[in-house]
Amino acid sequence: MTEPFLSIRDLRKAFGSFVAVHDVTIDIPRGEFLTFLGPSGSGKSTTLYAIAGFQQPTSGDVLLKGRSLLSVPSHKRNIGMVFQRYTLFQHLTVAENVAFPLRVRRRPDAEVKRKVAEMLSLVRLESFGGRYPGALSGGQQQRVALARALAYDPPILLMDEPLSALDKKLREEIQAEIRRIHRETGVTILYVTHDQDEALHLSDRIALFRDGRIEQIGSGEDLYLRPQSEFVASFIGNSNFLPAEHLETVNGAATIRLADGSVVSGVRNDREFRHGQKTRLMVRPEAFRMRPGPATAGLAVEFIDTAFFGERRRVIARTAAGQEIDVRPTSDMAQAQEGIAPRGQQIFFDPAAAFLFPA
Amino acid sequence: MLLDYDRLGWLRAALLGFTGLVAAFLLLPVVFIVLLSFGSSRWLAFPPPGWTLKWYEELFADPAWLEAALTSARIATMAAILAVVIGLLASFALVRGQFRGRNTLRGLLLTPMVLPVVVFAIAIYAFFLRIGLGGTTAGFVIAHTVLALPFAIIPITAALEGFDKSIEDAAIVCGASPFEAKLRVTLPAIKIGIFSAAIFAFLASWDEVVVAIFMASPTLQTLPVKIWGSLRQDLSPVIAAASSLLVLLTLSLMIVTSLIRRKLSK
Repeated sequence: MTEPFLSIRDLRKAFGSFVAVHDVTIDIPRGEFLTFLGPSGSGKSTTLYAIAGFQQPTSGDVLLKGRSLLSVPSHKRNIGMVFQRYTLFQHLTVAENVAFPLRVRRRPDAEVKRKVAEMLSLVRLESFGGRYPGALSGGQQQRVALARALAYDPPILLMDEPLSALDKKLREEIQAEIRRIHRETGVTILYVTHDQDEALHLSDRIALFRDGRIEQIGSGEDLYLRPQSEFVASFIGNSNFLPAEHLETVNGAATIRLADGSVVSGVRNDREFRHGQKTRLMVRPEAFRMRPGPATAGLAVEFIDTAFFGERRRVIARTAAGQEIDVRPTSDMAQAQEGIAPRGQQIFFDPAAAFLFPA
Repeated sequence: MLLDYDRLGWLRAALLGFTGLVAAFLLLPVVFIVLLSFGSSRWLAFPPPGWTLKWYEELFADPAWLEAALTSARIATMAAILAVVIGLLASFALVRGQFRGRNTLRGLLLTPMVLPVVVFAIAIYAFFLRIGLGGTTAGFVIAHTVLALPFAIIPITAALEGFDKSIEDAAIVCGASPFEAKLRVTLPAIKIGIFSAAIFAFLASWDEVVVAIFMASPTLQTLPVKIWGSLRQDLSPVIAAASSLLVLLTLSLMIVTSLIRRKLSK
């Protein structure tokens, strides 16, 4: 087997008695865009800083092409990094900022000049070379930071929530830039964010962190369509959790009883539950339909409120058991747009697209 | 707000008057000294019977005054350089360091500012006499460096606290060694603090008189010591002239400082 490009092995970081990162292991192939996603304090940034060399891990190893990085000081790791806060050198112009890593490497002037021009055109700031960072917007500053981080062709680029200081519209714009730059340069990117949309938009794979451990790692689709835990299901996308009693599971299809007494069969399940065990049924808001389909289960609800969001409509419904659920029908828009329906309305979902989790 | 200036009413006039009185109290002695240095009376009489430049003539004719001024400048420059270098290193430790007794160390380094100067002067005088530094330029510079250190540490730690360490980290990730990153990125970023430190440290030594009296010898006198000595011998208007020049130099230094600071912070 060929060894992975970048390998994080049993990485552990403890601050006193608090363990920030619990034995994290990931193999990252060359050219991958991997995102560390998770709530704050979940260990994702600590893992990134261990790769950058700013945190000395308690145990474990970080290997680049089979060679351990841990004994290499930060400035010799040849890694690119874009930080959460603006880190341009204020006393240098944009071009001098991008040239900085090449200057400390004592590269010849001609090469520095050529590389700076190339990098500024990569981030589309060709005409900004002579300006000072103070005269740039936040988005432009982060693009310069990106150019600076890539100027010395690092094998890995680390990005620590680089867009969190920007507003939503700008964030989306620069996300597209980052995707393009990843495509054009083929650099391996490790990206940290707490924003699931950003992670889904950018990444080849997402490692979802929780309490210092990787809860699940896989493509965005994997995490969305096949969440392995309630935490993953609730962190990625929106979800409704209905209390359900497990009756039996045959060949990976469970039969359950919902709080209103209705029995649903055909729910996908690969866990072992006892008869009568309390579980939670997860249904995505967009998995609900207004009309019954071939294998759908019905749920009696009362529509309480509806809000229009342009591309879709959000409906708040209340189940017979009194639980409020979030419904975002993707089809049957016409019906949904009729607004609040009278009592006794039924909505429908495909049990095979729902998940059963331990309560 | 309770104390909104715009809503003070008649109190505003009272406040203005009081502020004016305080300012006059602080400034009038300086004004009188300057006026007296141009007065023709030998006895520092006010108002002066006439105006003259002869005290300045006398001042510049006496090489002892010029020598004292040069000594002051030399000692203040060396003390300022030492205080800035030591203060810079100390500030990195105080701001970045995570060690026990950090706050104690900070307090210790700032004590020269709160300790009664005369106590410090007697202590260091006795100590320097014993180790043979009394009356030497080196002793003078060391004593003034200690006094100037708080004035260097305060602006530098403030600048360093306001500097985002991520920027230094970014330079390190870019391939600069930690030392190179500090030299090429951190120092330029806190240059205003360093500049202020140098000016304040220089002034702390330049017009210091108490420690200077203890450190001085007949051959090594700073300007304030010379003024003090002359004052005790004869109350000549030459002293007023020397004092006026001292004030003028300090004042121009402050003005230049604020101009440069304004330019740097752009």
